[in-house]
Amino acid sequence: MKRVAAVAVNTFRETIRDRILGVIILFALAMIVASLWLASISLGQEDRMIKDFGLVAISLFGLIVAVFVAASLVRKEVEKRTVFIIFSKPVSRAEFIWGKFLGLAATMFTVLAGMTVFLFVLAWIVARSPSGSLLVAGLLIYLELLVVMAMTMLFSTMTSAILASVWGICVYAAGQLSHNVLSLSKLGHSGIAHAMSLAVFYLVPNLSAVDIRAAVVGEGAVSWTSLAAWSVYLLAYLVVALVVATLIFRRKEF
Amino acid sequence: MPAAVSVVGRAFGERNVTITDDRHPGVRVLEVRDLHKTVAVGFRRRKVDILNGVDLEVDEGDVFGLLGPNGAGKTTTLKVVLGLMRPTSGSVTLGVHGLAELGYLPENPYFYDYLTGSEFLRFCARLFSLDAGQRDQRVTAILADVGLERAAAVQLRKYSKGMLQRIGIAQALINEPRFVLLDEPMTGLDPIGRVEVREIIQRLHERGTTVLFNSHILADVAALCTRIAIMRAGRVVWQGAVDEALSKSPGGDLESFFMDVVKS
Repeated sequence: MKRVAAVAVNTFRETIRDRILGVIILFALAMIVASLWLASISLGQEDRMIKDFGLVAISLFGLIVAVFVAASLVRKEVEKRTVFIIFSKPVSRAEFIWGKFLGLAATMFTVLAGMTVFLFVLAWIVARSPSGSLLVAGLLIYLELLVVMAMTMLFSTMTSAILASVWGICVYAAGQLSHNVLSLSKLGHSGIAHAMSLAVFYLVPNLSAVDIRAAVVGEGAVSWTSLAAWSVYLLAYLVVALVVATLIFRRKEF
Repeated sequence: MPAAVSVVGRAFGERNVTITDDRHPGVRVLEVRDLHKTVAVGFRRRKVDILNGVDLEVDEGDVFGLLGPNGAGKTTTLKVVLGLMRPTSGSVTLGVHGLAELGYLPENPYFYDYLTGSEFLRFCARLFSLDAGQRDQRVTAILADVGLERAAAVQLRKYSKGMLQRIGIAQALINEPRFVLLDEPMTGLDPIGRVEVREIIQRLHERGTTVLFNSHILADVAALCTRIAIMRAGRVVWQGAVDEALSKSPGGDLESFFMDVVKS
């Protein structure tokens, strides 16, 4: 456990100090501020526009950080041969993978917490009342991105950083759309299309199940029981992805 | 000498080499027997033999030079010893308490750009589960040892090649290992850097630490090593004391002996 913590702290330090992360966060904050302009031309929908646009910005920029950093995290260590130094010490492959993931998870938490709190304060100023659901939405975006990070890390143990990033984005997109595609396929007459939709629905993590953006802007209600169950499912999915990543990484030679 | 444990054809777990737990001070710290490594390369997965039956013995207190032309299998041998690669067949027996008593410097090491020298060494110390007090003590001592006290708070991306090599040696020594493996420790260094690394190896020898290093710089090998092995095409073709090599050398120096062995 000490070694997992050591790798995690090291990963957090290394990623949080990376200049590119600062640039991405600046862009995200600029986009959230830009929502003020959109709000000003939205005729009585200011509050809703800021929340909706702000949460999209957090998801989008969070996804960029999650996918690109997670894809390069393990890959970079292999390509730059830092793994020689790590694995010549009493560190197992499992400790390395989990430490890397937890370190990036801490970085991701810092980034998302900063962006969410910024949006929360901005929405509070505009609406003149705080919206706690924004903070919950930010937390659930974090959960979605943790799963995408775990899947991207799994891909990065098998392929190049670029391909792993692309696959990570595909997982995110499929995870957002799989439920809708399954619903649509039930309306159609193609058995094959329905079977394929069903396969994708069960194979990729159902990220849309914890997306409460509609509820945050006043469209529909949140079922907390369902949300809790889907959150447990996503956490289990994440653990399985990391276990598979560890098993693949254990077979690697450097 | 601990009993050699065969690892032929075994599926390995987290660590690819068999590491004995028996300690026999004053005797062998590494014994490699008939080590083979075959890898598949290219689209057609053509099999290439990198190691063709390496036999190697390193005794406690040795400064051991592993020599050979490029592609002879020196780095692969070290990687198999450390568990970074799995052997196809053969056995590796270490007479130390596993990786906890080993130190390793890879060739052309790369470290984490945004960490300071001190943070990087603390990280390495934590991987050996040293507590905070021990970490502070070791990091301070080792930074002084390699002459990097004044650069302790500088990020590694600002280090020169020589400083990176020294921090690399520092991380290899952070756990006070009994056995240190250095892969091309003098490569790319200027004359001052080479002298500094030579002095570090000399100090390790004086403290009784066993050192095995690869090098193409035969003058350093002759000055530092007690024993050498010369590899060619994936096997050890000569192994013995430096004095013996010099006495057999046609030109009286290590270079002509090396050329003689490699070309014969």
